[in-house]
Parts: sequence; structure tokens; C-alpha cells
Amino acid sequence: MTGRERTYNILHFKKADRMPAVHFGYWPELLEEWVAQGHLRREDVDGWYDGGPKDEALNKILGWDFDWQHMFSGNNGLLPPFETKVVKTFKDGSRAVQNGNGIIERIQPGVTSIPAEYDYLLKDREAFETLFAPKMAVDIEKRVNFDWFRRFNEDVYDKTDVPLGLHLGSVMGSVRDMTSVIGMSYLMYDEDETLFKDVVDTWANMQYEVAKAVLETGAKFDFAHFWEDICFNGGPLLSPALFEELCADHYKKRTDLCREHGIDIVSLDCDGVVEKLLPVWVENGVNVMFPIEVGTWGDQFEKARKKYGEKVLGVGGMDKTVLRLDKAAVDREIEKMRRLTSLGGFIPCPDHRLMPGTKFELVQYYCEEIKKIEC
Amino acid sequence: MSNYQEITEKVIKGRAKEVAALVEQALAAGDDPLEILTEGLMPGMNKVGEDFKNNVVFVPEVLIAARAMNSGMKILKPALTKAGAEPVGRAVICTVKGDMHDIGKNLVKMMLEGRGIECYDLGTDVDPERVVEAVREHDAQLVCLSALLTTTMYGQKDVIDALKEAGLRDKVKVMVGGAPVTQAFADEIGADYYTLDAASCAEVAEKALKEAV
Repeated sequence: MTGRERTYNILHFKKADRMPAVHFGYWPELLEEWVAQGHLRREDVDGWYDGGPKDEALNKILGWDFDWQHMFSGNNGLLPPFETKVVKTFKDGSRAVQNGNGIIERIQPGVTSIPAEYDYLLKDREAFETLFAPKMAVDIEKRVNFDWFRRFNEDVYDKTDVPLGLHLGSVMGSVRDMTSVIGMSYLMYDEDETLFKDVVDTWANMQYEVAKAVLETGAKFDFAHFWEDICFNGGPLLSPALFEELCADHYKKRTDLCREHGIDIVSLDCDGVVEKLLPVWVENGVNVMFPIEVGTWGDQFEKARKKYGEKVLGVGGMDKTVLRLDKAAVDREIEKMRRLTSLGGFIPCPDHRLMPGTKFELVQYYCEEIKKIEC
Repeated sequence: MSNYQEITEKVIKGRAKEVAALVEQALAAGDDPLEILTEGLMPGMNKVGEDFKNNVVFVPEVLIAARAMNSGMKILKPALTKAGAEPVGRAVICTVKGDMHDIGKNLVKMMLEGRGIECYDLGTDVDPERVVEAVREHDAQLVCLSALLTTTMYGQKDVIDALKEAGLRDKVKVMVGGAPVTQAFADEIGADYYTLDAASCAEVAEKALKEAV
């Protein structure tokens, strides 16, 4: 069986020859560590990205079958993005940098993980209408390379045997990325009542049109995928009722579109405690939870399965921190994965990007062992 | 005496400008600053904290309430100092070395202040030595340490070690929190308390400070 066939079968509750070894990428600091430790060469890691050629080569070295985030899409971001520029340098060497989303982040030299939000541009209706709305315009010819997607099946899909995803973008997560957690909160309450909804709707409609245009080229995908990240370890970043009111229809519209084009696996990436938002996703066509962070709600997958039955599938749930420890810790985690995989419709995957301190040889060991799980 | 209930309600609703105006009016009317704090501002923030803990309100509502409380405190603080009002306790709070995330830390600070605990906020990316200095300088009884990243959470242990080395560990209670922090981690590094959210932190802090008196 190929990785594509295995994944399809497991997520459709059918038999597969073995479990695929699936990952969620690496923090850049870890790749640097592995170079420094002599496990990898500089040329193995420079230019690494999810699903890229370097990723595929690294999969072979480590034993992974594929990266779940091997995905494609049109340009469904701000177009053009805001200019990335340094707006302030601090005495300690850190810098305030305006990013492509119009957020000003405070960044320390050499650190790439989760920057701290410092300020933001989307503060009122005027900023939305003059700075952001033009960058959210559908302008489909600029957003989708039609020729490339028309050749996609021949040039890309048929040349690989791993599952490929269509990235559907985000509904609320990207709006948070344009406003920061604080800015999003203020925008909900400070401005005219419709501003926040207008931002979400304008953004979501553009993303729908991009997905539609890509699918209408005839490009084939094994699954579709949302990114949200709208929860933290205390639960959702906003009220589930408001989330449902603002986002439910947008999820439904995009998941219906996918199903019309034969894609019945729709995963959603959200860190944190997602339980309270799960109903909105499940009832609106999302069926694969990813990456199921163990530290926050890992054990809840079984609970979700009990509640929603086979409408809820999972990719994730593997405690990545054991890969910093020893073989015994990995073995214990494999046993946990054995229990979850026995439920069906579940593929283990580290519950986030592998972090600094992860041991190269333990990743190789994990990949060998996870493939031994019968399914 | 002013209508403290109105101040409370405006804090809950996050009406920063109105809270500031009401506090100003109350002071102009000759009200006791401590009473404005304990009868007006604090009940509002405590209600929001309680509702947050019980999932009645969420982060946006806490942030706008915190902003409203803050707007009132800015006006009230000089009057409180002048009146010689004693806080429930004194806390040094920061995000540890290498970590510049401050949303969680700021929420905790506002919740602590909502319970009458005076906070000395050292900001983000703070060296252990600065925490030690601040504990000495402000005679703090509580140290609250935040970390968002798995790569920086061990900075909380560095602070605890620095407090031990300075001979201050037994004089302060250390509370830790942040996305990757767990009770097991708090136990491992020798912290006194771990709480999951800002409201629980303030509740536990108040209890700990009152027990310590």
C-alpha cells in the first residue's frame, strides 16, 4: 500500500497494511541543533519547508512517510502583504518588526518560535477599509496560477504516493493574526457593531473563492485543511457562541465545496483546548482534528469520539516531548497510540512541530516502532 | 458616597472611559480612595475573573474589563498612595528570561490588582537577578512567573534558584504559570503554586497572602 492508500483507508475505517509515520515538521532551531550535532548537513536543512524537497529527503533519513502539512493552495493571504520592516530596535538587541499581516512583533535575534505581539494596524474601520480590504480583494487571476493547477495532477499528484492537501486557509485565526489577541478583543467591543463581522466575512469570502477556483481547475487532493489556532490552554480565545455566529456558515460553505469535488476528509489545525469549539467544526463539515495537543486535550480524543462517533477523526495526539527523553518513554507513548489507533480513524502524529532538544535517534526509533502498529 | 455599583458594572462591561470618569467624580466628591477600590473597581474585576474561570466570559471580555480597571486605577493610585492605604500584599511579576510574551502575565497582574494585591511588573525577558533585586526593594511576599514557550519555561527554575541563593526563598511564595507549564513541572522546579488561569492565580494568591499574615 502507498502512504496515500494507507491514510485513506485508516481515515475511512478500513484495513491498512500498517500505520504510516506522519509528522508535523520542525522548529528551525531543532534543525540547526541537528546540524550542529552532526546528524545533518547544512544543505539538508537550508530551505526546508513542509512537504518541500528537503522535507521529503529528511523523511527518508528519519523514517517518516510524510508530513501532514504537504499542502497546496492559491494565494489566500493579504495581497500584497504589508511590507516587512523593522520599526524599532531595543537596547537588548530585540527588534519590533512589522510583519506581512500588519502586526508589529517583538523578535529576539535567533529565535523563530511564537513572536510576541507588540502593536497592530487594524484598529478601526478606516484602517480596515483603506489598508486591509483592498488586500483581501478576490482578484482571482492574481491569486491562482491556473496553468499550474491545470497541470497539477500530471506534474505533482500522480508523481507522489503520499496524501496531498488543499489548504483552505482560515476563518478566524487569520483575523487574529492581523489584529493580535488584544486587538481582536478590542475590535469586537470598541468599534461599530458590524466591523468585526465585516472583517471576518470579507476575509472568508476571498478564501472561499480561491479554494473554488483551484478546485474548478480539476486539481486532485486527498484532503482539505483549515488552520485556526483560536484556542489556548484555557479554552477558546473568544466565546463559542460568538465563534459560531461569525464562523459556522463559512466552514459549511467551504466543506460543502470540498465534498462537491469529492474531498471528504477535512482536517483543522487548532492548538490548545478545542473542546468547546468542536461542535461548530463537526457540525459544519470538519472531520479531522489536528494536531490534538497532548498537554492540553490529548486524552479528550476518546471523549470526542464517544460524543460524535465516527464523525470525528484524528491526526496527532502523540506527545512530542517523549522524543527528548529515551526509548522507554517512546515505548510508553507508542502504547498510548496503540490504544487510540484501535478506535479506528486515527493516525498518530507529533502534537506539534518537533522542538529543540528532540533526539535525532529517538525520532528514527519512533518511526520504526509506529509503523509496527497493526491497523 | 458615589454609586460604586455603577463603577463595578462599567468595569464588567469594559467601559474604560466611563470608569475613569466615575472614579474621578468619586474622588472629587471626597470619597475614600480605598473604598472606591474595594467597593467599586475590585468587585467588577473579581466578577469578571470568576466568570472567566467558569467559562461565562472569555479572553476578550477579560481584556476589556482589565483595560477599564486599569483606567480607573491610574486615576486612583496617587490618591491611594496619599491616603497610605495598605495593599493585601506585594507581588513581583514578570515573564522570565528569553520570553517576551506578556498577555498572560498582564491578565494575571490585573486579576491580582483586582484583589488588592500591589504588583511590581518587571515586564518580559527578565533576568533572575532582577527578580531578586525587586523582591528586596519592594519587600514582596509573592513572585509570579510567566512563560509561554517550552524553551523558556525553565527560566522559572532559574528564578527560584536565584531566590534560594540570595537567601530569599523562604520569604516569598512563588507562583508559576503559562501555556506549557503544568502542576508536575511546578513541583519539579520547586514552585509553591501553579494555577491554570489568571483568575485562579489571583484567588490562590490572595489566600496565600492572607494566610501568611
